[in-house]
Amino acid sequence: MKGEDLIERVLREGERRADEVEVFYARGESVSTEIKKGIIGTAEESEAWSMAVRTVRDGRIGFSATSDPDRWKECLDAALASGRLATSQQWGGFPRPANLTSTASSSDGDLIVAVEDAAGMVADLLSGAAEHPVEVVGGGANLARSYLMVANTSGVLYGMDRTVAAVSLEAIREQSTGYEFDASPFRADIDARSVGEQAASLAARSLSGRDIATGRYDVVLSPVAAASILGHVLLPALSGRNVKAGRSFLADKIGEQVFDESLSVYDDPFAPGLGSTVWDAEGVPTRRLVFVEQGVLGRFAYDLKTGYRYGEGSTGSAVRSGGEPPGIGVHNLFIDGPRAKEPGDERAVWIHDVVGAHTANPFSGDFSVEISNPFWMEGGDLVEPIRTAMLSGNVFEMLAGIGGLGKDTRRVGRLTIPSIRLNNQQIIGK
Amino acid sequence: MAEVRYYDIRCVRGEITLVDIDNGVIESAGTSFFDKAVIRVLGSKGWGILTRDHVDIDSKRELNALIEAAARLAAVTQDRLDLADAPRGVLPVPPLGEDPRDIDLEEKTRLLAGVEEAARVAGVGNTRARYTEGIDSVRFLDSSGNEYSYEAVRSGFSVLAIASRNGVMQMGSERDHITTGFNLRNKQILGRKAGEVAVSLLDAKLPKGGTKRAVLDPELAGVFTHEAVGHASEGDLVREGASVLGGRIGERIGCEGLVIVDDPSLHEFGFIPVDAEGVAVQRTEIIRDGILSSYLHNRETLAAVGNGVPGHARSEHGAPPIVRMSNTFIENGDAAYDEILSECRDGILLIGSRGGQVDPGRGVFQFNAEYGYLVEGGETTDMVRDVSLSGEILSTLHNIALVGNDRKMSPGYCGKGGQSVPVSDGAPHLLLENATIGGRGG
Repeated sequence: MKGEDLIERVLREGERRADEVEVFYARGESVSTEIKKGIIGTAEESEAWSMAVRTVRDGRIGFSATSDPDRWKECLDAALASGRLATSQQWGGFPRPANLTSTASSSDGDLIVAVEDAAGMVADLLSGAAEHPVEVVGGGANLARSYLMVANTSGVLYGMDRTVAAVSLEAIREQSTGYEFDASPFRADIDARSVGEQAASLAARSLSGRDIATGRYDVVLSPVAAASILGHVLLPALSGRNVKAGRSFLADKIGEQVFDESLSVYDDPFAPGLGSTVWDAEGVPTRRLVFVEQGVLGRFAYDLKTGYRYGEGSTGSAVRSGGEPPGIGVHNLFIDGPRAKEPGDERAVWIHDVVGAHTANPFSGDFSVEISNPFWMEGGDLVEPIRTAMLSGNVFEMLAGIGGLGKDTRRVGRLTIPSIRLNNQQIIGK
Repeated sequence: MAEVRYYDIRCVRGEITLVDIDNGVIESAGTSFFDKAVIRVLGSKGWGILTRDHVDIDSKRELNALIEAAARLAAVTQDRLDLADAPRGVLPVPPLGEDPRDIDLEEKTRLLAGVEEAARVAGVGNTRARYTEGIDSVRFLDSSGNEYSYEAVRSGFSVLAIASRNGVMQMGSERDHITTGFNLRNKQILGRKAGEVAVSLLDAKLPKGGTKRAVLDPELAGVFTHEAVGHASEGDLVREGASVLGGRIGERIGCEGLVIVDDPSLHEFGFIPVDAEGVAVQRTEIIRDGILSSYLHNRETLAAVGNGVPGHARSEHGAPPIVRMSNTFIENGDAAYDEILSECRDGILLIGSRGGQVDPGRGVFQFNAEYGYLVEGGETTDMVRDVSLSGEILSTLHNIALVGNDRKMSPGYCGKGGQSVPVSDGAPHLLLENATIGGRGG
């Protein structure tokens, strides 16, 4: 008993001991091939099964999870025990079944979870990397398929397929490194050869960079660097839980011009992407959410728990990771705006990636990070590598006045983002 | 059946207990269960690896089927790997002062609430505390007839306080994790400290970035050790050509007297009684008297690279073992803290850590302090915030001018290859010359 029959059993058994019960169930398989010494060194295959149970009684929410179907009773007991300790809160019930008319695709019917396919993707990565005089020091390919299901005692029973194809390659030339990656639900989106070529090109072209003097410069953050810095600061600031707890810089700013008027930020769960879905991790129908429109802050994201507690209502923004209870997140977040101003025309420091983005202060937005693969950019072209430097700034101040967005929009995890030009930023040379 | 030169299986079954209190509200308090197995087969070339939930390690039939499936995977590999012989043995697990399993969830929640409440000093608007407890039952067996089992118990917490005034928001955070028993009693003092730091940071200045002398406190100097030296000495990175420390054994890379160690046998948060391949763990001196002397190895990287010590294979449950640090530190020198501060004269004192990262191939690292103080004329003056430090592995250790005599270890988690494992790192106070300080003050 591992599938729908087990879910049914947990719901019925739990219902006798709590007001409401919810089961979130996931099973999946994946294969990956890992590069060692420029060829395939490891082949891995994984099967996973997990079940998370939530119980609600008198507004007290209990939670437990297990990766062992035989321990489902223990798991249910643990959820009920945890519910006895949780603080009671306003609660309006798990969602009822909805007529889900929208569609969202995050599954590729043609994707086969086969080690031979992953090995073929590695061959493509390596042939791309061979275009430049570099050593390949790591990387690999991954293919995965999973099935997710959410069910509750109000009658919701939704299931969904997800697929992921992902590649990465790390190259080095002397002390110059280059890393590139891509991931998509759709196998055909992944151009492994180009990813390998790009990583190798970064390593090869970044060699013999010149020093840069400490000072203020115009910079262009590539989509990768921008996603890295924004991911650690902007995403938490949009969470309704952080807003209500006084942990968000954006709290109390609804209706205000918080960012540059050329910037819009929205979550589109129906666009094709790694997080596409028509129901969220609690079975609430998802919707397109515009957080920031032309720089004006419009709303925040809520899950059921935070929504009920503060009378805001869920925005269908619940996500899950690992064996943790659901939390507030985004499905496919877009940083968007007109590309009227070309970001690369005037001389600027172009930054491919940063080291240490997770050390940014998520509340104030202040950060100072080491930069990776920086180049002088002129007329939109990377003309000369820079050796090494740090970039210091504040995410919220940066977004309040940007110099323009690039035409190079790219998907980086759950973010879809173009390069961003920022004028007059602090660079610390060595 | 495809060729099998070696196989092993490692099963970890256990429980994770989490308590999350946010602004006085008990958000969740409960236990979850996991049961993960990793089966590795070394074929004629490389590894075939399977990950499964809930494997019966005592069932010969199940085991044989898994080995056969892993062998089929291994057949697609091309890079020929060999395994070095390595000493075997399992250390006793440290005795538990107080077994967290003997304390009910209600008491844990009440104690955590006390820590969280203590953080709510005047000026603090938000507090959050999390208790984390892990009980792992580990079983391992391999095709060479080695077999072991042990239990690991980890208990600890983190507390976060946020103070705000006129739109400025600052945080203070503290954490403490141990492997030697229940760790939540009499910890209000750490909650209070998080609150006080958050409030005092409201008046802190933004430092001016640039090159200056820096004093690192033991916690931050520990992160420095981990990021600047530890990762680059990992044998897998050396083997792949992804570390600037490759080919430099015997070379002077730091000042005289400098000793940097990774020791999985210490009863700190990174303790393991045996590594994830069944190899005995031992103290490894990465740098002795300023000279690079050992890499950290597993059996495969020892065979390929040499010049080092095995017993450093670790894995998160349900993931294959890779070369990792455990308890990494700089040994004490002989400088007193006052001497370090007065020798710094004009510079910056950096305290606590918000984490760090390294690109070992390029040899560049970055890490961030929780806060700091300007040092003027050998005395600390104004408090500063949001300050980070970056440097280059090959030059930075030569810039250590003084090594203190007050080493302290701090617990944390380290991420590599998508896996997170418990570690500790530490050092005495250090004086660094020519440190690149990142800050956005004018």
